Amino acid sequence: MAGPGGDMQWCFSQVKGAIDDDVAEADIISTVEFNQTGELLATGDKGGRVVIFQQEVENKNQPQFRSEYNVYSTFQSHEPEFDYLKSLEIEEKINKIRWLPQKNAAQFLLSTNDKTIKLWKISERDRRPEGYNLKEEDGRYKDPNTITSLRVPVLMPMDLMVEASPRRVFANAHTYHINSVSVNSDNETYLSADDLRINLWHLEITDRSFNIVDIKPANMEELTEVITAAEFHPHQCNTFVYSSSKGTIRLCDMRAAALCDKHSKLFEEPEDPSNRSFFSEIISSISDVKFSHNGRYMMTRDYLSVKIWDLSMESRPVETYQVHEYLRSKLCSLYENDCIFDKFECCWNGNDSVVMTGSYNNFFRMFDRGHRRDVTLEASRENSKPMQVLKPRKVCAGGKRKKDEISVDSLDFNKKILHTAWHPQDNIIAVATTNNLYIFQDKVN
Amino acid sequence: MTLSKDTSMLGRGVKRKWSCLEELEAEGLPDAAEEKQQSASDESAESGDEAGLLPPRSDMSHLQQRQLVLGLCLEKLQRYQAGMELSLRRSVLLINTLRQIQEEMRSDGVGTCTSDVLLNGVHPDSCLLRDDFREEDMPVTCPGCAEGDAESLSPPLSPEFPSPEAAGDQQKPPPAATVSTFSDAVNAMGYLSDLALDDIFEDIDTSMYETSDLPSAWSAGSLWPVSVSLWPDEDVKMRPGSHSSAGSLQSCLTDLNELDHIMEILVKS
Repeated sequence: MAGPGGDMQWCFSQVKGAIDDDVAEADIISTVEFNQTGELLATGDKGGRVVIFQQEVENKNQPQFRSEYNVYSTFQSHEPEFDYLKSLEIEEKINKIRWLPQKNAAQFLLSTNDKTIKLWKISERDRRPEGYNLKEEDGRYKDPNTITSLRVPVLMPMDLMVEASPRRVFANAHTYHINSVSVNSDNETYLSADDLRINLWHLEITDRSFNIVDIKPANMEELTEVITAAEFHPHQCNTFVYSSSKGTIRLCDMRAAALCDKHSKLFEEPEDPSNRSFFSEIISSISDVKFSHNGRYMMTRDYLSVKIWDLSMESRPVETYQVHEYLRSKLCSLYENDCIFDKFECCWNGNDSVVMTGSYNNFFRMFDRGHRRDVTLEASRENSKPMQVLKPRKVCAGGKRKKDEISVDSLDFNKKILHTAWHPQDNIIAVATTNNLYIFQDKVN
Repeated sequence: MTLSKDTSMLGRGVKRKWSCLEELEAEGLPDAAEEKQQSASDESAESGDEAGLLPPRSDMSHLQQRQLVLGLCLEKLQRYQAGMELSLRRSVLLINTLRQIQEEMRSDGVGTCTSDVLLNGVHPDSCLLRDDFREEDMPVTCPGCAEGDAESLSPPLSPEFPSPEAAGDQQKPPPAATVSTFSDAVNAMGYLSDLALDDIFEDIDTSMYETSDLPSAWSAGSLWPVSVSLWPDEDVKMRPGSHSSAGSLQSCLTDLNELDHIMEILVKS
């Protein structure tokens, strides 16, 4: 963690993915998630695949070099489907991955596309039985007449094999596109949210779920707001929040009623009238909501800013950080090229002192809450030498451009960092560009 | 305080505005709002195109930006109707923006077809059209010509553009509101100007549409079928004809294009 008063520096560690600039659509990374220990890092892509990286438990003697992440398992989670009733294709793109806390030797994760959630078991096999009585080693059956003695099969070591198998498929519960999945602290239930509804599931039961939020109006013509993200409280198993396209967050208590349409708390910041424009509502739409690890705060990401809310204060956020305020004067152009609809995610570090989110031009931003510092860094192949320290970047909003600054109009809006993740216990971050995963770690002196 | 003889009475920018106005007054177009937009567009044209993003919009007049955003909104929504699926979130945000612009236009007192403020179209043709239609006999010929293709100007065109009144008024959409809503949006696209659109719609025979595959909400006269088609009630799996809603809208769009074509012919004749 950052030393008192010291500036934290970040170094390049690894990059995963194809090097060439020609990006295959299926390789576009759509979600990134560390597990609870940080040992495993999962990514989902547009092609419906999940790739899990594992941190090697070596080099503990070399404190300046943390272990690398290597591919642990790859599997096809979702396939494209066709809804014949509506003549619509269901994308196989993985929208979210959430790890379950580990209970035994195997690892479990939930992965979801627009319509179906799957529980995957990832298990290791490093032994296999040898010495069957009735079978040869290659599997052929022996002629029973040739057997003269009995023996007990013995488990022999083999090369490590990591198997992923789907244990549960939670289907047919969402009419609209699933945007969030969140595992409850009770480790028995989880929620899934689409544009208009939130469902509560039991991990063991796939043929039914409880609908706990439904904002669909009786008359679809009156629809003006959709659900954009939802998450369970990290400690209180009865509490969850969901955000909307109008910039509001509702906190609900499942003990109050079976259907949580009435929020317990409504978090909304009054609009600044001086900033009002045709795009005010679009940029206020919340793209991500995340509770802090300690459960006292939550963070929301809208188009231009990151806001930290104290759960005990609904009237306004306690902290607001501008991610790329220089884009405010360019909203019309960003509306034209659809960038204004991009959904950026955000994340907390392990002790809730720093928050991180992505931006354009492969930039990502970190805000140190305690020291009131922020930094802009870039994930690029140019800064990919081992342990190379990342140089802070600066965007010039207008006027004279200083050396090393980049002007707003030179930013590449096709290079966006939407997904980032922070190791729960260490200063290791995973940053996804379009089709590459960058892993950075802080410089340990 | 005396002014030196080199100093003009008016500042540089203001002087330009006045000179523009003087020129146009000579041509007989006393639209102050248009001048403001013209000088603004001249200024923005000078700033030039910068790599990556368009020129700064801060100097665009509010009306000009509104027009641009309105056009973009409709374009994006049309993209969906052309077959590309929009997420529900995006559709809702676009529709809300459209509603906001409509509200603003409405509160600006732009309820009728004849308002000049609407005609700050980005299309250079709009001025030309306006000049031509200033002739008194044009409204007579236009509806006549248009009526020949009356089927193109079918009711589905009018409900395509949202009206805030729609939510409350389900049973009988007031034709005036429908027409003004339509004309607001259509004028924004620069296709029509101060035509008597009421006359055009009066005699339209809608019987051929009542038997078509349009969703029931449409034939009920709902003014908000944009929502019906953009986010059809997906829970209703066996909604009759819902799968054809996209196709029906497609035909409405081609109808709009036909309308544009008609107007071009009228202008040239």
